[in-house]
Amino acid sequence: MTPSRTNSYANELDEYLVIHPLDDEPELKKDPSKLGPLKLTPTVRISLFMLRGYLILMTVMLLYHLLDIAGVFRR
Amino acid sequence: MKTYKHFTAEESKAEVKEYVDRAAMGLYSTRVAPTFRRGISIKNRWLRSIVTFLMVFGPGLIVMEADNDAGAVSTYVQAGAQYGTHLLWILLLLLPICYFIQEMVVRLGIATGQGHAAMIYQRFGKFWGLFSYIDLQVVNFLTIVTEFAAISLAFSKMGVSPLIAVPTAAVGLILMAVTGSYRRWERVTIFLCLLDITWLILTLKVQPMIGEALSNTFIPKMPPGGLTTDLVFIIIAIVGTTIAPWQLFFQQSTIADKRLRFKDLKWSRLDTFLGACFTILIAGCMMLVGNAGTIHGIKFEDPAQLAVALAPFEGHFLRNAMLLLMVNAAVLGTTAISLSSAWAYGEVFGKTHSLEMPFRKAKGFYGFYALCILAAAAVVLIPGAPLQLIILGVQVLAGIILPSAIIFLQLLLNDKELLGEFANKRWNNVVNWSIIAVLFMLSLALAAQVILPNLFS
Repeated sequence: MTPSRTNSYANELDEYLVIHPLDDEPELKKDPSKLGPLKLTPTVRISLFMLRGYLILMTVMLLYHLLDIAGVFRR
Repeated sequence: MKTYKHFTAEESKAEVKEYVDRAAMGLYSTRVAPTFRRGISIKNRWLRSIVTFLMVFGPGLIVMEADNDAGAVSTYVQAGAQYGTHLLWILLLLLPICYFIQEMVVRLGIATGQGHAAMIYQRFGKFWGLFSYIDLQVVNFLTIVTEFAAISLAFSKMGVSPLIAVPTAAVGLILMAVTGSYRRWERVTIFLCLLDITWLILTLKVQPMIGEALSNTFIPKMPPGGLTTDLVFIIIAIVGTTIAPWQLFFQQSTIADKRLRFKDLKWSRLDTFLGACFTILIAGCMMLVGNAGTIHGIKFEDPAQLAVALAPFEGHFLRNAMLLLMVNAAVLGTTAISLSSAWAYGEVFGKTHSLEMPFRKAKGFYGFYALCILAAAAVVLIPGAPLQLIILGVQVLAGIILPSAIIFLQLLLNDKELLGEFANKRWNNVVNWSIIAVLFMLSLALAAQVILPNLFS
């Protein structure tokens, strides 16, 4: 078998081959660890800061409400 | 199917040797050689596409159908009982929303091969990483408690003591995952998802007015009584039930664990879309079964009560099937949510985290999974445990953190430096920011109603 014929045979095999992802060779993925923290615009940074405040406030209010329902503050 | 060559470990030695020799000579492309990849060769294009899809299929269906958990069964059945078929159009509206959100997760998972918790930690820093992680763990744990509460309730109605049912379910759930094989877990879970087709049979059995149901699905109509506070909050409950924060973490980790490739993107999208359609269809069936309760004049507080009360009208098959489907929903919810917790733990603390690993190589991951399940089961077995308070807390907390979780997802998907061609397009952003705005408003309304109950009265 000549190399060219073998290569076309291999390409044909490759084209028809169906492989489960877990049986396939691992792919090189995009790696975020090399990039460091995301570069945020000042608007996004301020929005996230406000979101942080909103989430903390809501969580504390919810916790207080649940403890209140449970009767913790009435004892 | 014409299979003309298999490159599997089971091939004859001679054939393998010949292949290795050719590969060593550089006669094969490097994508095939030199490692042997287990696969099948299929010449027929359509069949090849179907088999490829079936190999990729799983995470999308599971993430969607596992969201039809015990809490969802309760919400949908209640919505059907209160409003009949009038809220079916909301489910149809939620179908693209579910899909668009999870499709972003698919792209992120395939592009990076990493879980969501790791991604937030690496790209938004320690505060947001830990904040998201702790929020996720708290909401997940409380949700798992509600799943076990449903298991306990359903088995009680079948005459099985919770002291037997809950620990048995917990052990079964642990054994289901700790096999060292992602595929085994996925196949079992897909089977459990497909069992939910029984809801269709139950719907046909209770014979709702199919024409009216279809009409109310495709043509939005206000229920009789107009816009009331109750209606607003049942809508919020439906939205909150259909889209949950753990789904973002779960599907991305599943895609990473299954090692989906760039070329799998279109199939994974299809998997997610079909999963969303299936879930919405089943959710609609749950509403119609709930509606049957109202048709028979049954008052109920949970689906287990409805199942028992429907038995004299619809027979014992319906009663047993409904109770078992409640258990199935809780089991699906528990395995998916506990895994999302365990994956997040592994990603944040740098522990080995894969269902492909045997127990001895990923003790932290499996240990965390088992701990979530055992602790939640134990809480349910404590006499007088405040389960109603837990259910309330989990609904509101999930509602509060969902929009912010999607904001991080949206920001990550606009990270062109990381994602390149996988990043959001302009139309993606318009759609997703609109979804986030709606979710934020619903989240605020829900939080306000619970924390300040007199606000809307």
